[in-house]
Amino acid sequence: MLDARALRRAFHPGTPNQRVALADVTLSLAAGDFAVVIGSNGAGKSTLLNAIAGEVRIDSGRIEVDGCDVTAEPTHRRAAAIARVFQDPSVGTAGPMTIEENMALAERRASRNSLRLGLSSTARRRYRERLAAIGLGLEERLGQKVELLSGGQRQSLALVMAVLTTPKLFLLDEHTAALDPKTADVVMQATTQAVARDHLTTLMVTHNMQHALHYGNRLIMMNEGRIVFEARDDEKAALTVDRLVHRFHLASDRMLLG
Amino acid sequence: MSIIYAYINLVPVTLMQSVIYAFAALGIMIPFRLLSFPDLTVEGSFPFGGCVAAALIAARVDPWIATLAALCAGALAGLATASLHLWLRLNTLLCGILVLTMLFSINIRVMGKPNIALFAYSTLFDNLLGAMTGNLAARIALVVFLLIAVLLALYWFFQTEIGMALRAVGASQSMARAQGISVARYTLLGLGLAGALSALAGALLAQNQAFADVSMGFGVLVNGLASVIVGEQLIGRATLGRQLAAPVIGAVIYYQIVSFALALGLQPSDLKLLTGLFVIAMLAIPVLAGRGSVLGNR
Repeated sequence: MLDARALRRAFHPGTPNQRVALADVTLSLAAGDFAVVIGSNGAGKSTLLNAIAGEVRIDSGRIEVDGCDVTAEPTHRRAAAIARVFQDPSVGTAGPMTIEENMALAERRASRNSLRLGLSSTARRRYRERLAAIGLGLEERLGQKVELLSGGQRQSLALVMAVLTTPKLFLLDEHTAALDPKTADVVMQATTQAVARDHLTTLMVTHNMQHALHYGNRLIMMNEGRIVFEARDDEKAALTVDRLVHRFHLASDRMLLG
Repeated sequence: MSIIYAYINLVPVTLMQSVIYAFAALGIMIPFRLLSFPDLTVEGSFPFGGCVAAALIAARVDPWIATLAALCAGALAGLATASLHLWLRLNTLLCGILVLTMLFSINIRVMGKPNIALFAYSTLFDNLLGAMTGNLAARIALVVFLLIAVLLALYWFFQTEIGMALRAVGASQSMARAQGISVARYTLLGLGLAGALSALAGALLAQNQAFADVSMGFGVLVNGLASVIVGEQLIGRATLGRQLAAPVIGAVIYYQIVSFALALGLQPSDLKLLTGLFVIAMLAIPVLAGRGSVLGNR
């Protein structure tokens, strides 16, 4: 479903501040794969995710989603196939717009916009159903502005929006990092439910080692712009935080504590 | 008593002025509020609309066509500002200043001279009102009718798929892109629309006063901003309807306040200073009270 080959990206090339964010990353996800990417700060996790989403241009390499070469496409053209939940809930949702308007925008991710009204009563019914499923009572607040919601509610909404139409590729960018631990677990639960229900091909970046070990069928560790370790299925299931840390001398406190 | 009397005499004229400037206030609100694009182009697109309409009417073009041409000219000014920002990555305020400065020369080129008088030509008001054209109440009614039609059209437009996508760009560009929305396309659309509204105000003002001058845009931005702020303080911006009505209601009240100040004996030349101070005060109150900024979107 995702085929990323030999991705390279250097920031500030030719200056003393040059930093190679992606040295040579090749990553393939089969349909239904749930890959979790970990690594210390500056390892290139976020750059990898942003390169796949289209937010970061790559210097060389090739990105295919579902057999289509999207390397030269800007983010908004890739959005038909790719859904994304951002780390910051206020970035991933439109605060001054209502819950139902946000849902309508997400539902039209793959469609052209016209001069038809953006909301209808049948659409509202659909949104109410989807929102009721996450149990936060948002289905009773369709007409309220999203900026009135708490961070956790907003991120849950972002999640529902991302999977409102089934994406070919689902990107999660440390999407629980800004939430308190309890809310983070609720959002993570909703995430795995959505992934399982629609068999979504998922790439999740996280700092949370427990989440990395607990969720997904593949684990990818990055360091200095490269994939340095991969485990899948049984091998992944056998991993523990201690073993990972011990084996790879992970120095990042955030990863240990996360 | 004479102050009150002087003011009351001015109410209808001021009302006429304010409903015309209300279009420009809408053209200021849309980039600032719905697109989060601080835009100064109105100082250029407003006189551009007036000058294009006046030049065409003086060339015996039908006033309807002249007004529509002014609308298109204003849209082009907005597109120019948006393009400078999108493709040259210049600061949005600088883009507006560049465009309004260049428009000064263009306006003189369009008219062939710094101003045009239209007393000898028939305007939109003469065409539509016929014998009633001298009646101020009829002229006000005509502009109010047009204003309500434009408000309803905008209210509908911003709830369509395209209008919602435009507002999403103003809310969060990252979110918009992730939902398949082209930030460039909708920024162009929003600024084009704002420019058209500002130019419409200029075209109506030129036809109402039968006079267009290259410097007629001076101060439009600050007056319009003051109108938007007054309107939002009064009715808020909790819903799309209120957000759209605020500039209009604000313009009507703001120009009455100005008129009252003039009746009190204030020098017209001091108005720009006072308006500026008023806008600064309105912007400063929430900041000093620790409630974030009025013009910041969130």
